[in-house]
Amino acid sequence: MRAAIEARGLTKTFSTTKRQPGLRGTLRSLVAPQRVSKTAVEDVSFSVATGELVALLGPNGAGKSTTIKMLTGILTPTSGEASVVGTVPYRERERNARNIGAVFGQRSQLWWDLPARESFTILRDIYGVGEAEHAARLREFDDLLELSSFWDTRIRHLSLGQRVRCDLAAALLHDPPVVFLDEPTIGMDVVVKEQVRRFLRHQVEERGRTVLLTTHDMTEVERLAERVVLINHGRIVLDGTLDEIRQRFGGGWRVNATVLGENRVPCPEGLRILHEEGPRLVFGPGRGSELTPHQALKRIIECYDVADIAVEESDLEDVMRTAYLREAA
Amino acid sequence: MTATAAPTTFPRAWRTARVTPLAELLAPGRIAATAVRLGLQVFLVTCLWRALYAGTHSSAGLVKEQAVSYAVLAALATRIRGLDRGAGRDTVIQHIQYGTIVYWFLRPVPPQRYYLYRALGDQAYGFAWAAVAYALCRLTGVLQAPASAGAGAAFAVSLLLGQIVLYYLTLLIDLLCFWTIQNNSALLILQFAQNLLSGAYAPLWFFPGWFVAMSAVLPFQSTLNVPLSLYIGRIPLSDLPAQLAVQAVWVLLLALLTRLLWRRAAARVVSQGG
Repeated sequence: MRAAIEARGLTKTFSTTKRQPGLRGTLRSLVAPQRVSKTAVEDVSFSVATGELVALLGPNGAGKSTTIKMLTGILTPTSGEASVVGTVPYRERERNARNIGAVFGQRSQLWWDLPARESFTILRDIYGVGEAEHAARLREFDDLLELSSFWDTRIRHLSLGQRVRCDLAAALLHDPPVVFLDEPTIGMDVVVKEQVRRFLRHQVEERGRTVLLTTHDMTEVERLAERVVLINHGRIVLDGTLDEIRQRFGGGWRVNATVLGENRVPCPEGLRILHEEGPRLVFGPGRGSELTPHQALKRIIECYDVADIAVEESDLEDVMRTAYLREAA
Repeated sequence: MTATAAPTTFPRAWRTARVTPLAELLAPGRIAATAVRLGLQVFLVTCLWRALYAGTHSSAGLVKEQAVSYAVLAALATRIRGLDRGAGRDTVIQHIQYGTIVYWFLRPVPPQRYYLYRALGDQAYGFAWAAVAYALCRLTGVLQAPASAGAGAAFAVSLLLGQIVLYYLTLLIDLLCFWTIQNNSALLILQFAQNLLSGAYAPLWFFPGWFVAMSAVLPFQSTLNVPLSLYIGRIPLSDLPAQLAVQAVWVLLLALLTRLLWRRAAARVVSQGG
């Protein structure tokens, strides 16, 4: 399938003035500023096919937002090339603007003093969307995001969840084929998050939009993303499906057991005790051990007089934590 | 979904000019407050200048009616584009502080054009207020008619040029935010300089010679003192071409400077990222 978003060797280096501590240092910085370079993103290459939803993941400061800003045309890369629906975003900004929609976390593009519906009308005028088309799209977004219950309220009086829903609608009103979402559900309650996820799924599956999403919410990744691009220290460390990531960084498990009587029995081979509190023990795989959870259960039951036992397999959050830590090491 | 860059109808981005009037109309309390503030301002400056002229017929080349008219017109003209544009959170400094300036660079309308549309809307809205207040002041006899029909026409042209100079001065300060992030101090200085050197506090004719000479080389007097002095006849019509030429030069210089700064500001957003 044709790629809607393509990044080839994107690198972004920022140059800043190093501030010296104290009054003397401040004066020295003013007279003879010391410039330092920091590479935020280095040689990032990936592509997103038309109609695909990809999650761009990574710890804070990994380079996700910088990558998105280069792809939206806000930042010009130091080197490398980007293409969004055949347009170089930082060279053809106005053309690119019609092809993309963007939401940057809690930063709203709506007019603070106006009701949301008026903001939508202003965006309709800016993008030159026909009135009938605009009305039809608003109806569709209202069905999915229940906007009409608050769209006549001024933005300044909306809750965070209501405002972000309005921002999502605002970003898609001109029908862009590509959407960039930088932590769109941050700070939202679970009900609104689910509504936003349904909306995004609809936009991808029914409308064929291409979405590049950054988030720290792994439930969101599991529910929405087909593919994950993992970035750390400005470099791509993994690009694959969720299953591939689970296979590479997953496989973690813990066994929670409550034992009776004397528990000072040596830890079974291939296991280690991660935590101990009275009769409650938490076991994990020993160093270099390849025990399955089933084998671990068997060994624990053989060694101890067990009153209660449960296996806890690692979820996506654990998998990502492992991935971040392992790649950072 | 359209995978094309073409708009479906002709863009009507100029309609962003209606943001401020729309927000004001949706807040009747704000309109009432503006009306009360303007009424009080006109009443107080009238009382003040009448009192100042109680013991004299003429001062600084102005008779009482001229001085009162100047002061009232100054109060009305400053309403055309007040500096309190922060209520709608759509100023450059607010967008830079909230990190929302990126959206200005993500739309198919260049940020400088969007800024212009918004400013035009604000100025047209302020002008509507000033025009209504002018009519009321004329009806109640607070304000005298222009010195002559020619003075009235000269005032209109000069006021228009003065508003363009004011637009560029405000834009200049706004653009500085891209470098300073915080420019509240610069705004306060501009506000004070604008009011003092334009003649909003008092006609420049009352200031010492060195002050008038200094004002003559700055752009501020173009925004208020020149058009108002033409209205009351303190600047004769024979000086009109020279005055308009000075205003036009300021428009040109400030336009070039702000154009350069917009380009630098855009490059700064591009290099630093919103």
